[in-house]
Amino acid sequence: MRRAIRVEWWKFRRSRVVITATGLMSILLPAMGLGFFVVAVSGGNGVLADKAGALLTAEGWPGYLGLVDQIAAVATFLGVGVVVAWAFGREHVDRTFPSLFALPVSRSAIAGAKFVVLVGWILTLSILISLAAAALGVVGGVGPWDTGEIWPGVARLSVITIGAGALALTMALFASVGRGYLPAIGAVIVIIAIAQVAVLLGTGGWFPFAVPGLLAVAGAEGAPELTAAQLGLVPALAAAGIWLTLLWWGHSEVS
Amino acid sequence: MRAVLEAHGLVRSFGAEVAVAGIDLTVAPGEIRAIVGLNGAGKTTLMRLMLGMLRPDRGRALVLGNDAYAAPPSTWRVVGHLIETPFAYPELTVRENLMAGALLHGVPEDEVERSVASAMADFELEQWEQRRAAHLSLGNRQRLGLATALVHLPSIVVLDEPANALDPAGVVFVRDLLQDFAERGAAVLVSSHHFDQLARVAHRITVLHRGREVGSLDPHGFELEQRFFDLVYAADRELGKARR
Repeated sequence: MRRAIRVEWWKFRRSRVVITATGLMSILLPAMGLGFFVVAVSGGNGVLADKAGALLTAEGWPGYLGLVDQIAAVATFLGVGVVVAWAFGREHVDRTFPSLFALPVSRSAIAGAKFVVLVGWILTLSILISLAAAALGVVGGVGPWDTGEIWPGVARLSVITIGAGALALTMALFASVGRGYLPAIGAVIVIIAIAQVAVLLGTGGWFPFAVPGLLAVAGAEGAPELTAAQLGLVPALAAAGIWLTLLWWGHSEVS
Repeated sequence: MRAVLEAHGLVRSFGAEVAVAGIDLTVAPGEIRAIVGLNGAGKTTLMRLMLGMLRPDRGRALVLGNDAYAAPPSTWRVVGHLIETPFAYPELTVRENLMAGALLHGVPEDEVERSVASAMADFELEQWEQRRAAHLSLGNRQRLGLATALVHLPSIVVLDEPANALDPAGVVFVRDLLQDFAERGAAVLVSSHHFDQLARVAHRITVLHRGREVGSLDPHGFELEQRFFDLVYAADRELGKARR
């Protein structure tokens, strides 16, 4: 598997999709949070100020990081989902899939290597987003540096990005079975829509894809409390998605 | 010599379409076995079955005595193949693609560099070493695909239309390459439309039509193309009679 990981890493680090997604998510995501925060606390009138104000759950650093959390819950799933779709779907779109047969490295090991690289990237991305959020908060004048307020917020942001990223790994199954990126990207969009509906209906806690979003507003007035079972569904679903994808790669034929 | 590639009564359908309809075939070490046929004759499906890319509906495809579809990964250490699209990731350089091929084909770590350098020299890819595969011409991409498939000097070679996209010099290069591998003792299964080139190197030429073996051609005979079409038309007439 070490050999497959090396090869997958070479492919991954050269991908424009990966470079673009990493740049956009680590910079744009906290920047959007800061923008919303500035608009919300400016006391201005208008639709945007009202919307941003409604999303703000606290003042200062907790409020700013809470906004970043809410954006990260959706944007990470979307961005990581696109990269996962590329990593697995590209073998079909670029027609390299048959080349991965009849090798001393099994296809499930190759799929496993893709997951190892993706997990490493998600963890790195989570650190980048958290560091960028802290740095932008300082530059943007969110409030005086207060480690007691900032680190718990940053830790929660990391948990949300890692959780959303882990859920996005399940898109590998859609890209594999659908033999391309588009089925997985379509699934990402449909799942985001279903998660919104589930939250509106009050059943979001039992829909794992909605959990990172609910975690982002946890503790806020009127926000539902998440149970341990609901939180546990997130890693369970990610693990099931990975397992089924490995199974598919081990038993599939060329099309 | 015992065959290292064997097909016994291989059958594979896709829905109502029978792509391979009961083919028997063997390839022994040192032998070049060529398969010729029109588009849709079943050449690629047969090769995919021999490489475990497809599961047979009936019959067996054996590689070194193991069922290809369920062969343990170690079986494939001595196999090199190129089926349709070359192993050439567009974002990787020529060198990186060859490194990837060497690693995935099980070349020992301390021999990877040497194998890659040797493949680059043999396939005349040295001047493109740092160029990404996306920026190669079709012909050079095919050369890279062949180099990646054969970087580990396999003893079983399966190539589907290896001369695709190659210029006349490239076709001669492939012909010499097949001969080199066979002389070193490799079993070679190759499909092609280049009758003249095949005639020079193949030991046996099998004609496939509509998923069936309809005859064979003498590689040293004359007017191979004419004889090929005679076999195909005769098979069509037989099939017509059978349907009536």
